Amino acid sequence: MIKNAFKEVFRHPSYLILSGAVALLIFAFAVWLPNIRLLLSLVTDPTVPISVKVSFPIRLFESITTNFTTLSASYTIVIALLTGINVALFVYYVRKQRQLAQGGLTIGSVGIVSGIVGMGCAACGFLILTSLLGTAGGIGVIALLPLRGGEFGILGVILLGIATYLLAKQISKPMVCEVPITNL
Amino acid sequence: MEHHEHETKMPETTVAPATTLSMPIAIVIAGVLIAGAIFLGLRGNSSSVAGTAQQPQQVAQATGDLKQMKPIAGDDHIRGNPNAQVKIVEYSDMECPFCKRFHETLKQATAEYGDQIAWVYRHFPLDQLHSKARKEAVATECAAEQGGNTAFWKYMDRWFELTPSNNQTDIDTVLPQIAKEIELDEAKFTSCLASKKYDAHIEENVQNATATGGNGTPWSIVVGKNGKQYPLSGAQPIEAVKQLIDLAKQGK
Repeated sequence: MIKNAFKEVFRHPSYLILSGAVALLIFAFAVWLPNIRLLLSLVTDPTVPISVKVSFPIRLFESITTNFTTLSASYTIVIALLTGINVALFVYYVRKQRQLAQGGLTIGSVGIVSGIVGMGCAACGFLILTSLLGTAGGIGVIALLPLRGGEFGILGVILLGIATYLLAKQISKPMVCEVPITNL
Repeated sequence: MEHHEHETKMPETTVAPATTLSMPIAIVIAGVLIAGAIFLGLRGNSSSVAGTAQQPQQVAQATGDLKQMKPIAGDDHIRGNPNAQVKIVEYSDMECPFCKRFHETLKQATAEYGDQIAWVYRHFPLDQLHSKARKEAVATECAAEQGGNTAFWKYMDRWFELTPSNNQTDIDTVLPQIAKEIELDEAKFTSCLASKKYDAHIEENVQNATATGGNGTPWSIVVGKNGKQYPLSGAQPIEAVKQLIDLAKQGK
């Protein structure tokens, strides 16, 4: 069922590109977040060579192996991929003007938000959560959690997984008029 | 036989407006979260790469300003050439696994660049995450008290070699063990460790880390030619660090 839905959506290259672009955006955001100030200053500084402006952000991609735990790197990549898939499925649905998968959308929505909140390096305080709550408060909240903030990432993966399943299920449903059981 | 025509109609799955909007709203919320994180990150340091390292120390009224970096002084621990054009000031937590990793990265950079760079170590124990880190920082200061800069770095290197991070070390055993290994006077070391003489120095490092915008570890400031400063958060890969050093060398 999921396979069929994926085939239906991703046989169009535009949805593949959309999904990949969203996934890349989310992934880039996760690895660049701790150094967003540095990146912006390098990009906007006219004395910095173009080659550095281009290559430095790409080199930071490697920080997924140096600045993340195995767990946080895993869920960061999975969240990025699932968000990309979810957005592509959602856009496909909207463009087809079909019924919206209520459950899938709601769960997917919570999943995206939860995943975004939990992204980053939980072990040393580089989470979006800490950025939003302020340094001391953010780390204090994280210290109370057994996985130091990784809970949000895991929750995001689970919810996005369910959302992907529900959306795919909805897409793979044939577009026919249903016979209400009560009238049989 | 009477034929009953089945009544057909569209599925009764009408979607409430709130529900149909949930995905776009989620994307907007996610965007707001991202924008908020970026904004708060940027607000911390408006001066970015424009500040100078040698400005007199100011009172840390606002946080996140690189200009508030305490000038490199005699109480700092420096590896490499103290007069190098490029200085990397690292604020680090001895229980942070990423500081352990980044320690190796900076060792590699120091080995490759030799006298062209200086690595300055400052303490930034995240007490709420790593309750043992502050005492460990004191231990390195006690090592320095006896053996100067050399003992400090020997102690620090050995610490990161031996320990697994995240508060998993029995510090009552390991701290004196390293002191013994690097041939410090154990009695003096133990007495120093029990004293509070370096508490103020470590707290000053912590305050300076936050004042300059550090909100996690490792937090580093690369100071280049002409005093330009480049903030670097996290255990970034060696190639990125080298590129930043090269940029700092050129004063760009």
